[in-house]
Amino acid sequence: MTGEAARAAGIVRRGIILSGLGLAGLAGVFVLALGFTPVEARQGLAQKIFYLHVPAAWAALLAFSLVGVASILYLWLKDPRLDRFAAASAEVGVVFSGVMLTTGPIWAKPIWGTWWTWDARLTLTLFVFFLFIGYLALRAAVHDAAERARFSAVVGILGLLLVPFIHLSVYLFRTLHPQPIVLKPSAPSLPPEMLTTLLVSTLVFTVLYAGFVTARYGLSLGDEAREESRDAA
Amino acid sequence: MPDSLRLALVIAGKDIRGELRSRTALQSALVFSALVLVVFNFARDPTALSATDLAPSVLWVTFALAAMVALNRAFTVERENSALDGLLLAPVPREALFLGKLLANLAFVGTVELVTLPLFVLFFNVSLGHALPGLLGVTALATIGFVAVGTIFSAMAVRTRFAELMLPVLLLPFMVPPLIAAVQVTSRLLADRPLSEMWGWLRLLALYDIVFVTLCMLAFTAVVDE
Amino acid sequence: MPPEPPQNGEYLVAAYIITSVILMGYWGALWRRAKKASGK
Repeated sequence: MTGEAARAAGIVRRGIILSGLGLAGLAGVFVLALGFTPVEARQGLAQKIFYLHVPAAWAALLAFSLVGVASILYLWLKDPRLDRFAAASAEVGVVFSGVMLTTGPIWAKPIWGTWWTWDARLTLTLFVFFLFIGYLALRAAVHDAAERARFSAVVGILGLLLVPFIHLSVYLFRTLHPQPIVLKPSAPSLPPEMLTTLLVSTLVFTVLYAGFVTARYGLSLGDEAREESRDAA
Repeated sequence: MPDSLRLALVIAGKDIRGELRSRTALQSALVFSALVLVVFNFARDPTALSATDLAPSVLWVTFALAAMVALNRAFTVERENSALDGLLLAPVPREALFLGKLLANLAFVGTVELVTLPLFVLFFNVSLGHALPGLLGVTALATIGFVAVGTIFSAMAVRTRFAELMLPVLLLPFMVPPLIAAVQVTSRLLADRPLSEMWGWLRLLALYDIVFVTLCMLAFTAVVDE
Repeated sequence: MPPEPPQNGEYLVAAYIITSVILMGYWGALWRRAKKASGK
């Protein structure tokens, strides 16, 4: 194994360990959420989905914002590490979006009576998911590394700027179309056990994000190193 | 007139003349929108929803789909002729190049929309009357927005293997805000609602256009240059 | 006597299982790719 490939493998290993720790933390969150927090009187057990859904949404949006920031920086600095990071963050973002888009409707159905509503949060999360998919599809379709990096960066930046417009559209739509009052899932003031669990869960999901992105970054780095040594051979 | 703008008009003129000669993009898009309108007409149950409720959505979905067909064809034709390569070798400022492409695409898509509109009135029996100027205005605003993003994305998509699939996948999320706004304004125009009800949406459209035309113009160089 | 909370435990179970499957699945996929890469 070449030096570069070995370094990449080291990064991957660190990522796998960190995300493994994250998964252990996730188990802890499960225990906290299921055992330690009280059952919400109005919503019942299903409310506890909240402790997974909200942190997943946070992680997905974090991933998405970082893709945007890395894209801007890449077009400015042209550092391939930024492009590699953006690609890793996008893939991990899709994973968290998946969690968010599955837990969301599963939570909504018992609480709101419907699998889906076009409210601001859900609509935004759906669009972020589609933007991720488009981003990854484009990357898969472009073979030249430099071109792929440039194109992805443009999509990343445009995508980041689209989000406020989606938000504005939904806001305008809802203010001009009065919707029936729906039962809002989050209580106005969270009891301390709920707040603690939510914060712990958010921390765990952030650790998972960091671990996954590190591992994914390392895997890309390793692939590139192996391809270079193959070309050189 | 500043050089860049004159250059953009020259580039746009060249593309438009080329399209007028071959008519590939226009023909595909026009046939496509006629077909879409026919399908919508047969697909809906006339007793369930009145034409006026559905009309704005149908019109804009048709415009959006036809725009994608036009954008795709326009860039594919150009790639086949390798016309862009020659332009790139010349010291043409990339912003002017983008603007020229944008203007040409706007001319194509605008033509498709102008022809689709009477077809729409015909098939759906909608009365436009004094809504027409407003309708033309909102159509222009929304079209500028999604054609700007469409121009830069089709420049990218055409360099990939599955260009016809890549463009919609990339572009559709970006079409949503202008489409929502356009449908909202159109439905209010057709219902003779006062301007105050449309103001928010029109501002959104204007803001979208300013932000994305500027951004796409600046980003164009990253797409066409090595 | 306060009202009984709604019986919707099956949604909770479904959501927690799906989340575990997705996250552990992705972790496993990364791990498998890492093994394949370093095994070469």
